[in-house]
Amino acid sequence: MSNQQDTTHFGFRQVPKQEKAAKVAEVFHSVAAKYDLMNDLMSLGIHRLWKRYTIEMSGVRRGQRVLDIAGGTGDLAGKFAELVGPDGEVVLADINESMLKVGRARLVDRGQIGNLRYAQANAECLPFPDNHFDLITIAFGLRNVTDKDKALASMFRILKPGGRLLVLEFSKPVTPGLGPIYDQYSFKLLPFMGKLVANDSESYKYLAESIRMHPDQDTLKGMMEAVGFESCDYHNLTGGIVALHRGFKF
Amino acid sequence: MPSMLNQAALATLEQALNAALALDPHTATRLQRLDGKVIALAIEGTGITLYLQPLDGTLRLMGAWDGPIDTTLRGAPFSLLRMGSGRTGEGLFRGGVEIEGDVELGQQIQRVFEKIDIDWEEHLARLCGDVIAHQLGNVVRDLRDWMARSSDHLQQDVADYLQEERELLPVDWEVEAFYEQVDTLRSDVDRLEARLKRLEKKVTHRGE
Repeated sequence: MSNQQDTTHFGFRQVPKQEKAAKVAEVFHSVAAKYDLMNDLMSLGIHRLWKRYTIEMSGVRRGQRVLDIAGGTGDLAGKFAELVGPDGEVVLADINESMLKVGRARLVDRGQIGNLRYAQANAECLPFPDNHFDLITIAFGLRNVTDKDKALASMFRILKPGGRLLVLEFSKPVTPGLGPIYDQYSFKLLPFMGKLVANDSESYKYLAESIRMHPDQDTLKGMMEAVGFESCDYHNLTGGIVALHRGFKF
Repeated sequence: MPSMLNQAALATLEQALNAALALDPHTATRLQRLDGKVIALAIEGTGITLYLQPLDGTLRLMGAWDGPIDTTLRGAPFSLLRMGSGRTGEGLFRGGVEIEGDVELGQQIQRVFEKIDIDWEEHLARLCGDVIAHQLGNVVRDLRDWMARSSDHLQQDVADYLQEERELLPVDWEVEAFYEQVDTLRSDVDRLEARLKRLEKKVTHRGE
């Protein structure tokens, strides 16, 4: 118990807090190149619909400023860049250099330039001014952050009053009977697919484990409220395998 | 719980819309002028409201939107609107559509939709789910049959009433007989005219 303050979970293992970021970085350096392919395989393509729903709930408009944290390969950022138009601005931030490079290369290849910026940044101490963004999204990123409360507080600080945060993240299945199937899937099939496709079963084992260690729907909602977000709610998607949390700064 | 099937249906419909729009550069140009506006489509009786947003000459389709809405179009389901005509590709709107908000924008988007030729019924069915789609389908089929039957009946009844009861209109055989008489009369008149002309010639020859 004495060292509980100094360790955190890395999947099901406990590691010293200062090591988690590096270990997570290792995982994502390893999977960056095949991240999109794996996402499609792992979610059977449904992650595209989860992201589509997230964009719907964003209410983003022409001329707004958007930050996509842990934006990885730029799925959301690319779409937001279309939506905010030339007068808006989208910042794609990721702590991981490899992921950011893949994302930037992909967006530039699609001809998306001009209103997109890139930042390698840690979600716990975001390098942006106060009250700066109309919308902040973090999709499948929060569970990899070491200190989630600190990260949420940092997001709250840089959000404009009236702005909103959307957290898309794996959560706790609520549909009866889905739990056991999902367990089998994520602990057996997922690492196996990781090995086949990316030749890296350890990284995918981490992904599955980290999902289980992530706070459930109500806990995360409470955490958002604790740092100041208001009118917080969440929507379970695909039986609660994924949940979209939403909170406003007023 | 928001349905991912709806998201899939919306994504498919959006693709179909934009594929249809891509074939019509004129409409795409027209959409450019509406860039960034949000149009709500409230489909009566289904509880479904869709949100449209023209962006860079394409249409974005959403199942939810909590920003400002520029205009709202409210009407009965597409299939009911198209019903009776039995033709496809008549576009989204026929008949009574209410426009709230920016009326001109509403009319412009209505015009855009009249040009789009896709199978609305199929896409609507995917959106409102099997049960409602089936019920809606039944309603549509029943109504269509009923209308076909009753319009035949009505036509017959009205004809009988006017011809037999009130004798305001002639029945078929009377009309035929009348036409025959008119034809005979016309032929007679033609023959008489020819004969008169011949007599006229004779008279003038004698006079010389």
